[in-house]
Amino acid sequence: MNEETLKKILLIIGATLMTVICLFPFTWMIVISFTRDATFLGSTSIKFETTIQNYITVLTEPTLHFLSYLKNSIVIATLVTLITVSISALGAYAISRIKFRGRLTIPIFVLGVSMFPQISLIGYLFKFIEKLGWINTYKALFFPYVAWTLPLALWILLSYFLQLPKDLDEAALIDGASRVQTLYKVIIPLSAPALFSTALLVFIAAFNEFMFALLFTTDYRARTVPVGIALFQGVHGEVPWGNIMAASVISTIPLVILALVFQRYIISGLTAGALKGE
Amino acid sequence: MHRIEYHEEKFAYSMLIPLLAFVIIFIIVPVLGTFWISLHRDVTFFPTKPYVGFKNYLFVLTKRDFWYSVFVTVSFALISVALETLLGLSFALILNEKLKVRGILRAIVLIPWAIPTIISARTWELMYNYTYGLFNYIFTKLGIGAINWLGTPVSAFFAIVLADVWKTTPFMTLLLLAGLQAIPNDIYEAAIIDGANMFYRFRSITIPLLKPVLVVAVILRTIDALRVFDIIYVLTGGGPGGATTSISLLAFNYYNLGDYGVGSTISILTFVLVLSFTILYLKIGKFKEGLR
Repeated sequence: MNEETLKKILLIIGATLMTVICLFPFTWMIVISFTRDATFLGSTSIKFETTIQNYITVLTEPTLHFLSYLKNSIVIATLVTLITVSISALGAYAISRIKFRGRLTIPIFVLGVSMFPQISLIGYLFKFIEKLGWINTYKALFFPYVAWTLPLALWILLSYFLQLPKDLDEAALIDGASRVQTLYKVIIPLSAPALFSTALLVFIAAFNEFMFALLFTTDYRARTVPVGIALFQGVHGEVPWGNIMAASVISTIPLVILALVFQRYIISGLTAGALKGE
Repeated sequence: MHRIEYHEEKFAYSMLIPLLAFVIIFIIVPVLGTFWISLHRDVTFFPTKPYVGFKNYLFVLTKRDFWYSVFVTVSFALISVALETLLGLSFALILNEKLKVRGILRAIVLIPWAIPTIISARTWELMYNYTYGLFNYIFTKLGIGAINWLGTPVSAFFAIVLADVWKTTPFMTLLLLAGLQAIPNDIYEAAIIDGANMFYRFRSITIPLLKPVLVVAVILRTIDALRVFDIIYVLTGGGPGGATTSISLLAFNYYNLGDYGVGSTISILTFVLVLSFTILYLKIGKFKEGLR
């Protein structure tokens, strides 16, 4: 067997395995969400009946509050995305364009901070948020989420801004534009792809966060989708797998579509954020 | 000229104020505050919170539960990162080939990444179910017999590892793919002319040239794995009998009991463990050079 054939066979086997591995849990989630009895594999006579009842229950049953969780998640993640991207764009502009003391230290420090374990903030942060009276409000998640997503956003934008030629804004500055005008009229329009990939990653990170949401919210008024799904209780007490999987599909599909449609932006953002020095 | 520079410097700081304010108020202060709490006997329903110095640390560091959770966390990080590196490297090698279905394959690899950890953990929880889970259905059909996945310490540990590897391999794949794409093609072409076969090329070109990216990616994922919480919280809740309790989860359990002093102490110890890897990551990642 020559090398080309061997390579081809290995690639086909590898690609098939890869597809199966990546897709089967997601597929199973979808299958169960459309099944009348989620425990059908355990019964002696396997009866598979399709239904959309799980979706109807999740979307209409008021005691499940799933739509409230979804609304909370979307509102919080959107606000966090807007503020994080704006704040990190300002910071990335200053670091990439202006010479000042701490220009190298500040971004490294911020990157280091992003590696802190979430649990190491909890002891104090919980008391702090409780003292402010923010428990079970959007504020309790909004502020920590912005802080938590800023380092990633800063580094993605920084790696992009550093690649933009400095002559561009120097020309604008010579023409009498201020620093702020340069940022808004020259840098921001040129950085649309980087801003977009940052926004996507920040949104997904905020949407998926669990520990803060678990501790700082208590009910449907502020609780987000991950906590809702982790603590999902059926109307009758048993584990309502059909409902859980339907809720999971509804929350996951938009994220998967975003990831597939904008895969280029996501991949460039992820690698820019992690592999700066390479 | 000096006036302009001074003015610019002040302007740069004002642009960084919002960013630093958020990071300091909601990350730095809480870490310092948690350290402060760890020096006190701080239990809810207890009116006084006396300063006890490092007594909580002495208590935690002599506790078997703590060292066991360190063992669980470190072995989780080692095994999980090793498996996802191997799998991620295989995936990256496949995606680096000029296949017709490359675009589709890259999209498929992104799917586990896009699914929230909690949601994927619940799906795995269902698949691991003893009586009606997908795995035991397949295992029974194959004649291997049902496994009590989440019911015994060892199987629960590996059940968590598997679910985590599935979720995090895409990220590893993408980092390594970026590294592979940076290797110039003519090196391979020259090697082919010299008669080097593909295994030899992999060993003597791909691996050495990929090494810098590989090291950074492995450290980054190790940091993440040492902080593991979500997936264990959903899959086993730390059980059976505390057998899969990670350090973060142990601290969380103390907070839940109202013991902020001990919870904060374990949190700070987690912080110290992760910090050493963070410093390594920042040094090896050459981030400072990238900023110049």
